[in-house]
Amino acid sequence: MTLLSRPPTDERTDPFDAPTPPRRPRLGRYVLFALMVGVAIIMLYPFWVMIITSLKSEAQFLAGHGFSWLSWKTLNSTIPLGQEVLSSTIVCSASILIILCVGLPAGFAFSKLRFRSSTAVFLALVSAMMVPLQAILMPEFVNVTKLGLTGGYFGAILVYASLGTPFSTFLFTTYFRGVPDELIEAGIVDGLGYLGVMGRLIIPVAVPAIATVTVLQFIQIWDDLLVGLLFIQNTSERPITVGLAVLAAGRTTSIPALMAGSLVSALPAMLVYLGFQRYLVKGLTMGIDR
Amino acid sequence: MSVIATRPARPMKASRLTLRRRRQLTGFVFALPALALVIGFIGVPIGQAIYYSFTSWNGLTSTWIGTAAWTQAFHNSNLWTALENNAMLLLSVPFALGIPLLIAVLLHQRVAGWRIFRSIYFMPTAISWVVLGLVAERFFAYQGTLNSIIHFFGFSHTNTNMLGYESTALSALGITFVFTMIGTNTILFLTGLATLDPSLEEAARIDGAGRWRIFRSITLPHLSRFIQLAFVITVIALFSALFSLIFVMTGGGPGYATTTMEFLIYQTGFNQGDFGTAALYGIILFVLTAIVGVVQLRLIGSNE
Repeated sequence: MTLLSRPPTDERTDPFDAPTPPRRPRLGRYVLFALMVGVAIIMLYPFWVMIITSLKSEAQFLAGHGFSWLSWKTLNSTIPLGQEVLSSTIVCSASILIILCVGLPAGFAFSKLRFRSSTAVFLALVSAMMVPLQAILMPEFVNVTKLGLTGGYFGAILVYASLGTPFSTFLFTTYFRGVPDELIEAGIVDGLGYLGVMGRLIIPVAVPAIATVTVLQFIQIWDDLLVGLLFIQNTSERPITVGLAVLAAGRTTSIPALMAGSLVSALPAMLVYLGFQRYLVKGLTMGIDR
Repeated sequence: MSVIATRPARPMKASRLTLRRRRQLTGFVFALPALALVIGFIGVPIGQAIYYSFTSWNGLTSTWIGTAAWTQAFHNSNLWTALENNAMLLLSVPFALGIPLLIAVLLHQRVAGWRIFRSIYFMPTAISWVVLGLVAERFFAYQGTLNSIIHFFGFSHTNTNMLGYESTALSALGITFVFTMIGTNTILFLTGLATLDPSLEEAARIDGAGRWRIFRSITLPHLSRFIQLAFVITVIALFSALFSLIFVMTGGGPGYATTTMEFLIYQTGFNQGDFGTAALYGIILFVLTAIVGVVQLRLIGSNE
């Protein structure tokens, strides 16, 4: 697989960059530009709705006109945002930490320290990527509950970690295949040991792959509903996405407040996305770009 | 592994052999945490789900009822409704691929400011489908954007409420799904277009090929692998990622109009407490996605 197998060299290039095609005639360019603006309006629509709606009181929202900061001022009493953002942050960071701690050595093992039938084991592990949580939802829920892990964050963290591990292992394995064997041998000869080789030689080279896994998993876990909904039983420990969804499904919370909460919840993932766009792209096109 | 072939002759080689053994052992130990996690939280539950699908199970106690559980399930009209809803939603897949393809081609023309447009187009990709579902609900609502648009075009007495009726709720869900997939699929197609050699297009243009002809004979065949991958990703999302949208927008209703397989599993398990049947439905969903998964593995395999 050619995948992400050229580590440090071409990381700075924009994955979409291609030579610029010849310039079009003026009229054609205007039509194109207008089309692009049209698409932009559609894609910005969710943000527009959230902003406009959040800037109304409930009465103004029902009347269909008016403007006020009321929903923002009372937001903290409507939705426990601080607590929920904190929960989301804890669950996200702990899950990603486990995914990295477990995926990096596994990727190193499957690419460079191959053992008996490691290829078959690798394929089995990677195919777990295809299993949707819903397919195993009932036994998973009962197992985690019986282990007593739904009381705090641990249940959700472990479920997220196990769902993210197959992909991260796959990504790290294909990435490490591009690392020359000589580098590892040199490290061993120098007496670093395998753990030392991984910590001092492999991981520094793998920073782009680590960033890809982190960004993809952050967005996935931050945005997820199902795991947080079922595997975190205390309502006071709910992540923000779950809090919003439950309030929305209850249909008693004012819609301007929900929209303000939505904006707050969308902000971290959007910032991460805008800051690390190219890592996201790399992750999505894994297994197909050359 | 050729352990026997490299039989040690000299002490130097003997130490190399133990080195290899050590390396293999280290490899196994390094892979172990990942394996344990995935076996414990994905592998074991698959086995359990199969076992419990033959039982009557409320989460605490289970009684074996054998294949009767399956015949009962297949006589349940809810299962067929959910499968039918999933099948109907498949109709949205061509749109979830076609629209991003058009957008990618637009972006590929490199109009002034295309990088900004690109960032804007992908921005909804970062947002939770819970939030997008909330926004979509506003869009389709009686006092929502859709009716405003309809009124703007002069049909002031026409009012829609797509999420409120069994006949239209699924379409509204499908349209929302198409919107949520635009970002991801556009990224895929744009990456594909970036790998296209522009001199090919140039040569075709010199040979007098029109724009449509170039698109059909050069661009589209080049993109075929990307289109296949996008297809698989879209279908898998359709089977396993709609939960957030449904939970927020319709709760599976009106009636069972927007209950898909994954939502049926949730409802059967957590609203009706019938864990056994829910586990059984899970196996059905597993088989459905496995079929799509095999297609994807073959795609990845064909790229080697």
